[in-house]
Amino acid sequence: MADLYVKPGNQERGWNDPPQLSYGLQTAGGGKRTPLNKRVPAPLQGSPTVPPAQSLPSSTPPMMPPPLPISNTGPPPLGQARSPLTIDNSKQCSREAQDEVPVDVEDILAPLNQTLEACKDSIKTQVFTEIGRRLAVFKEMWSGGKLSTSVQKRMSLLVKELQNKNWDSADEIHRSLMVDHVNEVSQWMVGVKRLIAEARNLPQEASPTEDEPPADGTTDTTKQES
Amino acid sequence: MATYLEFIQQNEERDGVRFSWNVWPSSRLEATRMVVPLGCLFTPLKERPDLPPVQYEPVLCTRPTCRAVLNPLCQVDYRAKLWACNFCFQRNQFPPTYAGISEMNQPAELMPQFSTIEYIVQRGPQTPLIFLYVVDTCLEEEDLQALKESLQMSLSLLPPDALVGLITFGRMVQVHELNCDGISKSYVFRGTKDLTAKQIQDMLGLSRPVAAAQQGRPQQPQEQPFLSSRFLQPVHKIDMNLTDLLGELQRDPWPVPQGKRPLRSTGVALSIAVGLLEGTLPNTGARIMLFTGGPPTQGPGMVVGDELKTPIRSWHDIEKDNARLMKKATKHYEGLANRSAANGHCIDIYACALDQTGLLEMKCCSNLTGGQIVIGDSFNTSLFKQTFQRVFSKDLNGAFKMAFGATLEVKTSRELKISGSIGPCVSLNVKSPCISENELGVGGTCQWKICSLDPSTTLALYFEVVNQHNAPIPQGGRGAIQFVTQYQHSTTQKRIRVTTIARNWADAQTQLQHIEAAFDQEAAAVLMARLGVYRAETEEGPDVLRWLDRQLIRLCQKFGQYNKDDPTSFRLSDTFSLYPQFMFHLRRSPFLQVFNNSPDESSYYRHHFARQDLTQSLIMIQPILYSYSFYGPPEPVLLDSSSILADRILLMDTFFQIVIYLGETIAQWKKAGYHDMPEYENFKHLLQAPLDDAQEILQSRFPMPRYINTEHGGSQARFLLSKVNPSQTHNNIYSYGQDGGAPILTDDVSLQVFMDHLKKLAVSTAS
Repeated sequence: MADLYVKPGNQERGWNDPPQLSYGLQTAGGGKRTPLNKRVPAPLQGSPTVPPAQSLPSSTPPMMPPPLPISNTGPPPLGQARSPLTIDNSKQCSREAQDEVPVDVEDILAPLNQTLEACKDSIKTQVFTEIGRRLAVFKEMWSGGKLSTSVQKRMSLLVKELQNKNWDSADEIHRSLMVDHVNEVSQWMVGVKRLIAEARNLPQEASPTEDEPPADGTTDTTKQES
Repeated sequence: MATYLEFIQQNEERDGVRFSWNVWPSSRLEATRMVVPLGCLFTPLKERPDLPPVQYEPVLCTRPTCRAVLNPLCQVDYRAKLWACNFCFQRNQFPPTYAGISEMNQPAELMPQFSTIEYIVQRGPQTPLIFLYVVDTCLEEEDLQALKESLQMSLSLLPPDALVGLITFGRMVQVHELNCDGISKSYVFRGTKDLTAKQIQDMLGLSRPVAAAQQGRPQQPQEQPFLSSRFLQPVHKIDMNLTDLLGELQRDPWPVPQGKRPLRSTGVALSIAVGLLEGTLPNTGARIMLFTGGPPTQGPGMVVGDELKTPIRSWHDIEKDNARLMKKATKHYEGLANRSAANGHCIDIYACALDQTGLLEMKCCSNLTGGQIVIGDSFNTSLFKQTFQRVFSKDLNGAFKMAFGATLEVKTSRELKISGSIGPCVSLNVKSPCISENELGVGGTCQWKICSLDPSTTLALYFEVVNQHNAPIPQGGRGAIQFVTQYQHSTTQKRIRVTTIARNWADAQTQLQHIEAAFDQEAAAVLMARLGVYRAETEEGPDVLRWLDRQLIRLCQKFGQYNKDDPTSFRLSDTFSLYPQFMFHLRRSPFLQVFNNSPDESSYYRHHFARQDLTQSLIMIQPILYSYSFYGPPEPVLLDSSSILADRILLMDTFFQIVIYLGETIAQWKKAGYHDMPEYENFKHLLQAPLDDAQEILQSRFPMPRYINTEHGGSQARFLLSKVNPSQTHNNIYSYGQDGGAPILTDDVSLQVFMDHLKKLAVSTAS
């Protein structure tokens, strides 16, 4: 659901800034690899240790003082096969998934507005207008081309979950958007967040997807919250 | 041997406890001869996904001075429905609800596998978690924008019913009223004048008829439900308005003349934050989160003046007694820290700036309250952003990994007494018969308060054996310790976790080999290191090193095998083999050496060292070094210059930094672009492997470490070179042959020289 990717850190502002892991990666948790926590005891006896040097015949020995560039370094050992290292499970989605399916802003706004209308009676007028105002900001930013494809795609997912009353996963998508794309979504996402919360509180019969005819291509209204 | 390793590991996993000694010397005299004190690293809330909490109250021993919790070590008479306390031997009647128990039908707390058990108890009203943001606005535009976004983001990560509040400060301090009507109001305070809690509460209109908390410690949990406050509101009610409010925050409008620092009223802002919570919500879980981008420059708690030509204090100034403002500022923050601790509130400090921000003076705010300290260069870095996100991370059950207002109580068998504790806690000054007169760390009490803790928060606890010499081995052959941690879970439930452990006694004169075999050198190293760092914080530096050296020599004299005056005969058994090198690296560590670190950095490193669990602490003492090559899977190698080889990639983890270092040949291959050629795919894999492993560390580490990608000859290779043991230096490289790794330009003593001296001193009849 959430994207898995790693972005480089902000080297301009932070010295040796670590890479930025996406929300999906952070919440996925690690632990697949063996933990790197072993130590070798330094031998007590004898002269300082020099481990068995296994230098490749072609490599140059370390020099002192810092060596000048030496060009006679041979190539690394050939091999397309797997090295003895365990590299399986390496993150496959190392880039942000970029699906090129164009999404129309109205496909997303319409269900959001429907949900908002459904909530109208149960929320204060002020909250209603506030959410509406944020949805307008969302529309404006979308139309102005200020939202990345990743945000657009995840928003359409979010709306699907909302329509299917999968509140938790809609909420989770909202969180992943806030964490990964806060600069794009911070102004309006809180409206969507509130909308999810308010829709969740609606009594069952008043929820929008049951009242509305499935006009916007939403046929899957029967799916229950898991 | 292996069985003891397994035993130690099992105990850590089950009970979150690691003892220096796992078989205890049975007399006071023998115990002192063991050199390393009997102590343990205890992780009160160690993650136990397999441990479902039980939904009833613990059964307590009826002796008023004991009150130990019923546990698997107690003897039970199932017929008479009696149990004997294993600490004071009092016989107790089971409560009526236990009428149905029998050998076949035991309550969980009597089963041996429940040496650690957690109770959910209902006491008093539940209050939501509280997050009070205290935000510095004297930031650069880019930093302020990034910080605002992070704070907006955090509203999505907080539990919906959590209460949030906002205080901003620059030259003035503003307490923002949060409401839903879209009109923003705030109370403005001058940043130069300190106010008492009472004054703050009066000015904010928070005074109420119920006796508000005064300077003293309010012992009663709050009786009435949450008193609605205009300054603290549930996230789900004000998230939209607060998002706008944060979005509209401007940089401090007061002009900053050339050559001046902005006037920053951190001291008053924190004072108001502490006073606000003290007045409205004492004894409830709350975090005051300070975000600051520079040192406090005015009012109480000022660390440096606003003249840029006066630099902020350095270690040199402190040594020369030239840090004019340090004492006064420290006193101010200590006052706040103690008040906050008394109220059960914690203070986090997120300090992002290139220069120092006054952590040295402010550190007590976090150290005494269990708060976090994070330092970074800018708020617009992934280091800050991700670290901040991780504050709100959740466990497998979807609960936040934070707990509040914990009280840790320790009970011991009669032969043991408690010397003290070192960790993010304060003493509750509770007297009991099991308190030792010899203090180590924070002593003189059997209870400590930890205002905020997470699953890795770890305290060092020190004990004293008080059984007299030549007295028989105590009754039952085992000594016991019980840890009772009462805390507020992040779901706001009140919980009590009880861990009861026992270890065998042994007569050190006849059974020394048993005691020796049960030595946990990792725990011992961390326990000694915490003592050393605690001393370094309170006493002079060189004396600490000398003290550590003396202890190490004595330990080697006691447990080494050697012929007198013959250093070459010196041997240490496996259970002690790593201990000397831990001490060697500890001596060089930033926890004891301040060279090359600012006072703020030292405070930061020490802060984390005093709270992390054993594994992380040990990484801090002796960084982990792994080597990647074509010859096999990644392998741990000596943290030694001889491990720096041309055809290896090294991955070093120092806790605060992750360093990836390409050996000379590897770097040349990479430069030549071999990894892009399909026939050298294995080289590409080799380059990728340490990156993947580093990412795994990055995924779980808190706070985010700095990440250094470097290679042979790179300037940043110094991070590696300064940590490895300099076994080859410019002084001795030519005496060694060719393939020995990389020489280090240093006059520092190498581990080998250190060991030679150690052996000489250990076997010497003179010492």
